Amino acid sequence: MSELFNGLIGGSAAGLMVIVVLGLSALGFYMARSRAMASGGGDRRNLHSLPNYYGWNAAMLTAVPALGVLVIWLLAQPMMIDSAVFKTIPDSAIAEGSSRGLVMSDVRRLADGLDVIVERGVMDAESAATLDANTTDLRATLAAEGVALGSAVEQPVLDAAQMYRTQSSTGRFWMTVLVSAIALLAFVVSLRLATADFRARNVVEKGILALLILSASIAILTTVGIVLSMLFESINFFRLHSWTDFFFGSTWAPNFRGDSDLSILPLLWGTLYISIIALLVAVPIGLFSAIYLSEYAGPKVRSAAKPLLEILAGIPTIVYGLFALLTVGPALVNIFGRGEQGLLGVEWMSGATSVLTAGLVMGIMLIPFVSSLSDDIINAVPQAMRDGSLGLGATHSETIRQVVIPAALPGIVGAILLAASRAIGETMIVVLGAGAIAKISANPLEAMTTITTRIVSQLTGDTNFASPETLVAFALGLTLFVLTLGLNVIALYIVRKYREQYD
Amino acid sequence: MTDMTSDTPHVHGTLLQADARTRKRNAAETRFKFYGILAIAVGLLMLVILLFNIVSRGTGAFTQTFVTLDVALVEDKLDKSGNRNIEEMKKVSTFGYAPLLKAAMTDMVEKTGMEGQISAADMAGILSKGAPAQLRDYVLANPDKVGQQVSFNFLASSRVDGYMKGRVSRESIANDKSISAEQLDFVDKLIEQGILKKKFNLSFITGADASDARPEAAGMGVAMLGSFFMMLVVLVLALPIGVAASIYLEEFAPKNWITDIIEVNISNLAAVPSIVFGILGLAVFINYMHLPTSAPLVGGLVLTLMTLPTIIISTRASLKAVPPSIRDAALGVGASKMQSVFHHVLPLAAPGILTGTIIGLAQALGETAPLLLIGMVGFIASNPPDGIASGLLAPNSAMPAQIYEWAKRADPAFYERAWGGIIILLVFLLAMNTIAVILRRRFERRW
Amino acid sequence: MKDLMAERTVDTQKLKISARNVQVYYGDTHAIKDVNVDIEDKTVTAFIGPSGCGKSTFLRCINRMNDTIDVCRVQGDIMIDGEDIYDKRVDPVQLRAKVGMVFQKPNPFPKSIYDNVAYGPRIHGLAKNKADLDDIVERALRRGAIWNEVKDRLDAPGTGLSGGQQQRLCIARAVATEPEVLLMDEPCSALDPIATAQVEELIDELRQNYSVVIVTHSMQQAARVSQKTAFFHLGNLVEYGETGTIFTNPTDPRTESYITGRIG
Repeated sequence: MSELFNGLIGGSAAGLMVIVVLGLSALGFYMARSRAMASGGGDRRNLHSLPNYYGWNAAMLTAVPALGVLVIWLLAQPMMIDSAVFKTIPDSAIAEGSSRGLVMSDVRRLADGLDVIVERGVMDAESAATLDANTTDLRATLAAEGVALGSAVEQPVLDAAQMYRTQSSTGRFWMTVLVSAIALLAFVVSLRLATADFRARNVVEKGILALLILSASIAILTTVGIVLSMLFESINFFRLHSWTDFFFGSTWAPNFRGDSDLSILPLLWGTLYISIIALLVAVPIGLFSAIYLSEYAGPKVRSAAKPLLEILAGIPTIVYGLFALLTVGPALVNIFGRGEQGLLGVEWMSGATSVLTAGLVMGIMLIPFVSSLSDDIINAVPQAMRDGSLGLGATHSETIRQVVIPAALPGIVGAILLAASRAIGETMIVVLGAGAIAKISANPLEAMTTITTRIVSQLTGDTNFASPETLVAFALGLTLFVLTLGLNVIALYIVRKYREQYD
Repeated sequence: MTDMTSDTPHVHGTLLQADARTRKRNAAETRFKFYGILAIAVGLLMLVILLFNIVSRGTGAFTQTFVTLDVALVEDKLDKSGNRNIEEMKKVSTFGYAPLLKAAMTDMVEKTGMEGQISAADMAGILSKGAPAQLRDYVLANPDKVGQQVSFNFLASSRVDGYMKGRVSRESIANDKSISAEQLDFVDKLIEQGILKKKFNLSFITGADASDARPEAAGMGVAMLGSFFMMLVVLVLALPIGVAASIYLEEFAPKNWITDIIEVNISNLAAVPSIVFGILGLAVFINYMHLPTSAPLVGGLVLTLMTLPTIIISTRASLKAVPPSIRDAALGVGASKMQSVFHHVLPLAAPGILTGTIIGLAQALGETAPLLLIGMVGFIASNPPDGIASGLLAPNSAMPAQIYEWAKRADPAFYERAWGGIIILLVFLLAMNTIAVILRRRFERRW
Repeated sequence: MKDLMAERTVDTQKLKISARNVQVYYGDTHAIKDVNVDIEDKTVTAFIGPSGCGKSTFLRCINRMNDTIDVCRVQGDIMIDGEDIYDKRVDPVQLRAKVGMVFQKPNPFPKSIYDNVAYGPRIHGLAKNKADLDDIVERALRRGAIWNEVKDRLDAPGTGLSGGQQQRLCIARAVATEPEVLLMDEPCSALDPIATAQVEELIDELRQNYSVVIVTHSMQQAARVSQKTAFFHLGNLVEYGETGTIFTNPTDPRTESYITGRIG
């Protein structure tokens, strides 16, 4: 169950395996190296490759396949045991209003708890394996060790947990056997290979290339991981909750006793409204800054103003969140709220959190994003284009407005789309500055909530992966991912086409 | 072409005087230029406002109000048996220590000759709620001091601290149950006597977070360690993987659709919202692999995946900047392609790679949203981790998550700490970026 | 070549541009040294010389295009119709309407053919109404000798034309603002021989209305299109005179070396 966890702190099967395999691999390095040297009569000129390559070959051959199998085993075992145990839970063990998934998470927690009390010596392994739910108050025993269970333990659950434990330990045993066998076999083979004629360098380089390819494919794996993890849980969500309500409903009202209204539309509205305000702030300021910096400013102004503006991009979003909540929000309340005491003498705004608060601050954050992207793009417009216009007697600003900007337009649109995708996915500013009320309203002084805010609130604190109220976060995440991915793909495509045009 | 002689040439007036149209156009030019200056000015103004805000509201967190008190560690109360047995002494809870504080306050008032018009309990009430615990920890660590008079520096309560910093006034506490106007009068007298003072507060930088009731005791230290261990994970994983991936893509990858997909993928991953990586971490690392929640290891893994695209993109740029002639030279003397890359190209690209990595790390250091999903919120660890294993696996927070936690607590005393935390965070970011800039200036060559 | 030049009648026109003691500096580099030249109206004047000799730099002084380069300083007087164009009161924008320019590489704007040509008249307010503008565009395109090729696709982007067509479009764009002087900076260097011939023919026709100054690195081209030739070398104006004379009987040994191919 928690092999990887235990493995990392050492002492368990996986951790021990890693140390053993690495030790064997180091041993292989020195033995293969000296064996190769010996077979070359002690003169390295008789060898096909440099002596170290023989060592590396042995080390690599010993460690990589064994560790690879270990990692795959650790990833696959929980899934296989889960599905095996999942099937054995009888329908009778599933209480009213509960689900198989909920019971399964109880099983896992119980199995973990039993492992913990055995490890701490509260109970010996023998008696832990033969517990009877009716005679022992397991919940109390476990609670004393800091393992909290949701309800009293029932016999079927206990049986499932015991099965879980036996299968886990069987799995661990076979894993140890298999990994040791592979490592030993590879160790012996690699030593036998270490002779003068062996093309060690070529083999090692092929191995390194394979590792390089593996590293490059982690990017793909990450994307696949993102999509799969969210897709699976989203499918679970749509089993529990109607998709029509999610996509077309009008209310967001999660209720942890069930029967919630979980519609994305009010959240999407809040997200888009805030993003639009942010872009209304960032695009004019960012674009005009970029125009000034690339077209008018001398090298001195440019080298001072550009990095200063880019500081805004390097400031963490949590800082902007705090700025929104504690500075901009109250300032806006002073202007639009407070009735007679306020600056405008109006009572339009009640709290510091609002669409305008979050939008303004997010706009500030996006200024350098828009300006540096646009700056690059404007600089890519060939000077010949400007000369052509200036040579006809156009003023500098006419040249910019009528020639440079139209020429740069596709790139600028791409930059704005990238900024929009940033705005839609931004979390901390809206968590602190936008508020938590899901509604569709046109008033920018009201608090509204966004997709990212709801993901945070549904997934922090106690999460129960069997309830639609938790799972909805994955459906929201997937929607957000698809939305931003779409924007990014379009934007990056436009920008790339634009650059190719002037290359 | 035949009709071109027929038209009359346009007559241009003198150049020495701008005509009306030119004057209008020049005015438009000036306006346009002004918009540009205005835009930059607005952007810079925002930066100034932001930084001014942070500094003016955050520096307060680095000083704290302390009360210096001589406390008589009465043996009757702390060690009834008198044999200094630690186990027995531990039975006296913090409640048992509270009377000593009241007594110390009364003593002090008598000694200095102040007129004590408020009760001893009210006098002790200006101290932090953590004061008895501080006393108890001291006694348990130095049992031989029992029976003696020892001088202590106690934290004042957050209201008193706020009074010292101008956050709290007699008007603002009208409905406040934690402090009264009489207590503030008492505080004024203590200030006169030099017993109550604002001092530099090291424990804000080194200490752990504290509960809602004791904002005066909360510190960033443990969260800082959490961030440190996360950055360690990111550095150990993201740097080698990122460099390996870049070498493959830049030097070895064939130009085919698989490479194209990987490249498009990387540039898209760089633009995926950070919270999505948090969801990935929750679903894969915690829910599926059962790694411990709130552990810096998991935070580090999530941030690694998030930082990888940044590192790959900058590493590829620095590899690209090494001219092909270097590769040709190595290949020309019979090195293999792999040797030419590892012996020649990589060392030359190293400064650029390092710069990109530091900037990636800085970005990861300030990231908050994914940490919230994997449970790295505030007030989790009350003690610093005691080793690398517990540093990686024991539940902890991180600097930005700690700031978020304080911002959520809706108490001006915690707001001050949130701004103070931001100063610490920004100092780290500034240092990292400065190092990156220096590295770039000193080592990066232009080919 | 001799026959070609013998045919050419050289009648003296009135003075259009006169430059006196012109010095140009790029930062610390002295790019143009003490150039004096008189350029006549309704004449094609060619600037020739090896690359880097300053001929393009001097050309760009005539409509103050060098103003757009920060490090560039110009001293001395350049008079057009007796007015010093570097006078403080002169607005380069107005000057450039009077002195048009065609560049080395065809640089049509990313707009339609029509909008490319209409750009100048629009910014200078030359057209009273749409019909007037249509008229100006058509006239300019006819003068640019490209009307017949593009009249059916005026809405197509200018960037979609072939290189030679693009350059003639740029010439049409320049003449649409009704300049009095047309500066051409190696207008044929990016073109193939057929397109070059078309543009050269066009230049000869433009002479009837404009004072044309052309920079070229091709001596043959200078001989074909120009009536006057100026030879620049290392920032100095070495020799200036009738094209025929320069090519057949140069007075300066440097000119002779260049023309006979001993320096390049």
